[in-house]
Amino acid sequence: MATFELYRRSTIGMCLTETLDEMVQNGTLSPELAIQVLVQFDKSMAEALETQVKSKVSIKGHLHTYRFCDNVWTFMLQDAVIKIDDCQENVGRVKIVACDSKLLTQ
Amino acid sequence: MAATATVTTSQVYIDVIEDVIVKVRDEFINNAGPGEEVLKELQALWESKMIQAGVLVAPIERSSGTKTNPGAVHDLNVPYEGNEEYETPTAEMLFPPTPLQTPMQTPLPGTVDNSMYNIPTGSSDYTSSGNDADVKGGQPSPYVQQLPPSPWMNQRPSLDVNVAYDDGRDEAGRGTSNQPLTQEFFKAPMGKRKRDDLASQYNNADGYIPQQDGAGDSASGSFEVEVCGGRISINAHHTTSKEKIPADLGRPTSRIPQLDGPIPFDDDMLSTPNIYNYEGVLSEDYNIANTPAPPEIPASTPALVAQNEAANDNEDDDDDDEPLNENDDDDDFDDLDQGEDQDTHHLVLAQFDKVTRTKSRWKCTLKDGIMHINNKDILFNKATGEFDF
Repeated sequence: MATFELYRRSTIGMCLTETLDEMVQNGTLSPELAIQVLVQFDKSMAEALETQVKSKVSIKGHLHTYRFCDNVWTFMLQDAVIKIDDCQENVGRVKIVACDSKLLTQ
Repeated sequence: MAATATVTTSQVYIDVIEDVIVKVRDEFINNAGPGEEVLKELQALWESKMIQAGVLVAPIERSSGTKTNPGAVHDLNVPYEGNEEYETPTAEMLFPPTPLQTPMQTPLPGTVDNSMYNIPTGSSDYTSSGNDADVKGGQPSPYVQQLPPSPWMNQRPSLDVNVAYDDGRDEAGRGTSNQPLTQEFFKAPMGKRKRDDLASQYNNADGYIPQQDGAGDSASGSFEVEVCGGRISINAHHTTSKEKIPADLGRPTSRIPQLDGPIPFDDDMLSTPNIYNYEGVLSEDYNIANTPAPPEIPASTPALVAQNEAANDNEDDDDDDEPLNENDDDDDFDDLDQGEDQDTHHLVLAQFDKVTRTKSRWKCTLKDGIMHINNKDILFNKATGEFDF
């Protein structure tokens, strides 16, 4: 089953990738096993986001760039305002990368 | 980067880590996998990195309870792995000084060596020897155990504990002191044997013995490349060979020239369709190398490629791009991003349900996303976006 590798770019994903990278370079872990761990991470992360997280956010801003390639949308926003439940964040620049949710359920 | 985390995101991360570890445990234990200790090391390293990054809150309360390993001999070195005695790893155990960390990264061939260090007395000997690496006692046990292969760490591993290795200790300083040499002639072959075994094991894999005393600059940076690309998946490359990374996955040292025609020396004819008309356009050098008609041009390509590779590939690229003005849009955004700190690179990773546009008004619905904003990690189940282009 295919997985979205995009969560590997998050903090948790990068920590895992770095850890696996070190262990593979040490020889502690084989690359195939590291790949299996990453794939499992993709699945677990997607499932956790779907089941454990309940919050809703809204994002508004000026769209500087949009890109749709290989079924992936990439937006670069400027002066964005992000409202999370009760609190609000202002960011000067934010990048949004989104994969097609329908691809996973094929 | 020290992000802040709410308790809930931290708990979600802990659950994800637990879930991953549980699900890959079978792979580690069955089918001659590396074993439970390596799995524990993976988990501990992962968690410590996340605590360092600030996205995980330190006291890790696990829902799964204690995870006792069958060996249970490394409890000393596995402080918070399911032990109820102390929940929180201390800072010293988790965050050893970085320079001390680097010598640890010398490779260990495999689990066979790991088993040799399962002697609890052996491991405690290491801690008592005051080794720098032992400061990392808090680190997962295999980390400490895997010291032996490196030359200067030769004596620490349990392999040699039963042998009177007082002389062996000098082996590390063999290059410096002359006197022990006479005594070491006995030991040296053993040491070399070990290293040769080590080398041969690496020859099986790659012929490459990692020797890191700093940032991992080795060629096996497949994971780094993979993440940066975003689209280059490890799946694509893991079918090729075990460890060797195909050259075209991004290491500049082994660049594969990919051109669709002969490479001009100075002019801007790198990849344009006019390539076959260049006889009248390009400099005279081309005509000298290659007087006949266009069909013969490809035949001369290898020579040109060789010359140009040595000379000025990059310059040609720049010359080509400038007149085409390809980078006009990218520079505004990208350069500013590069100049900024990692912390300010706000990122949202999610899945989209729908993206629509009306004139210059964009609307999208996202789901299941991770946001890294203002140094914080925020997770969401649903998001709506409204952007003005």
